[in-house]
Amino acid sequence: MVLVLLFGCNNNKNTSAQKDSVIVNESPLIPKEAMLNPYAAVDVSPMDMSYFPVDYPQLKMTNSITTPPIMRVIYSRPHLQGRKLFHNLLKYGEPWRLGANEATEIQFYRDIKIQNKKIAAGRYILYCIPEEKKWTIVLNSNVDTWGLKIDSTKDIDKFMIPVTGDNKPIEYFTMVFEKTETGADLLMAWDDLVAKLPIDF
Amino acid sequence: MKKIFLSFLVLFTSTGILVAQQGQTYPPLDKSPMDMSYFPNNFPLLKIQGKATEPLTARIIYSRPQKSGRTIFGELVEYGKVWRMGANEATELELFKHARIGDKKIPKGRYTLYAIPYENKWTIIINKETDIWGAFKYDPKKDLVRLDVPVEKNNETTEALAMTFEKRPDGANLIIAWDNVRVALPIIF
Repeated sequence: MVLVLLFGCNNNKNTSAQKDSVIVNESPLIPKEAMLNPYAAVDVSPMDMSYFPVDYPQLKMTNSITTPPIMRVIYSRPHLQGRKLFHNLLKYGEPWRLGANEATEIQFYRDIKIQNKKIAAGRYILYCIPEEKKWTIVLNSNVDTWGLKIDSTKDIDKFMIPVTGDNKPIEYFTMVFEKTETGADLLMAWDDLVAKLPIDF
Repeated sequence: MKKIFLSFLVLFTSTGILVAQQGQTYPPLDKSPMDMSYFPNNFPLLKIQGKATEPLTARIIYSRPQKSGRTIFGELVEYGKVWRMGANEATELELFKHARIGDKKIPKGRYTLYAIPYENKWTIIINKETDIWGAFKYDPKKDLVRLDVPVEKNNETTEALAMTFEKRPDGANLIIAWDNVRVALPIIF
């Protein structure tokens, strides 16, 4: 359905203005008139970026850190707008782009390990195959692409992680890093679900 | 100094960093949302449609403050002072192939962008220090190149800061537009 809507818009030259055809409501934070723009419409699902170490750019600005960053994730933040994740938005067993618009990108500034698998420094995209109790997180090398069409021939590796429900509901999809003893978790939270991908370095 | 401290305070509070540091709440939505533009324009969409005929050459990642009824240039953004040309994290230009800006060869890689706006021209700055916040610790020693570009007046008001690329025969112009002005930074590939 999403693909049909997207490709249905192909004839229109201004593709950037209709990024997520599925999400049509206005963003509560940005006035509707501000989202219209002669150059580039403001996205309904705005992009965001999280670093590890957490808040690295601010730490660098305040001279609180001298080592290079370890990783960052760039993703767009869809919001629920009254919908339920697994009724209106996602389906168990079907790939989900872990975001919106451009494919979610993770950049490692150095080699890292996930579930004992060595991953070389560089840019990758992430997507997810959600199930009720577990998510399969897929690391893929097809960067600079749009999240709706996945080229699984470029999959690098898949990592199965548990997902918990009954957490405090979150309106906007959120990705942040959390320090652990062996590295950091990439924490993914939306609605009442939380999943953590452990990254070691 | 007090002004600097205050602006830090506002900065940290408005972006929810204080909240995040308490460890209980996830980051709220940014008031100036981040966005990304590619050259060729809409490259990711073209790619999944099999329509990307030209190679990827550049992208810009920036945050989009809004005019919100204010006069931007000469008031909110003062003339003659380094401006971060965005919000939150410093605006990042990534070049996927070697390029030339002004008389300088720029190797492919990631850079930060700043501007010193005046009424009739902007001095655009390409700087090597990446993964940093705004222009608060901007270091001119890390500049690669500075280039003066003329200011063009727009009839239409651009509410949210916008950046996009425009094809030119020898490369692309990075268009930067906000309020009633726009400038074009030529990037030669």
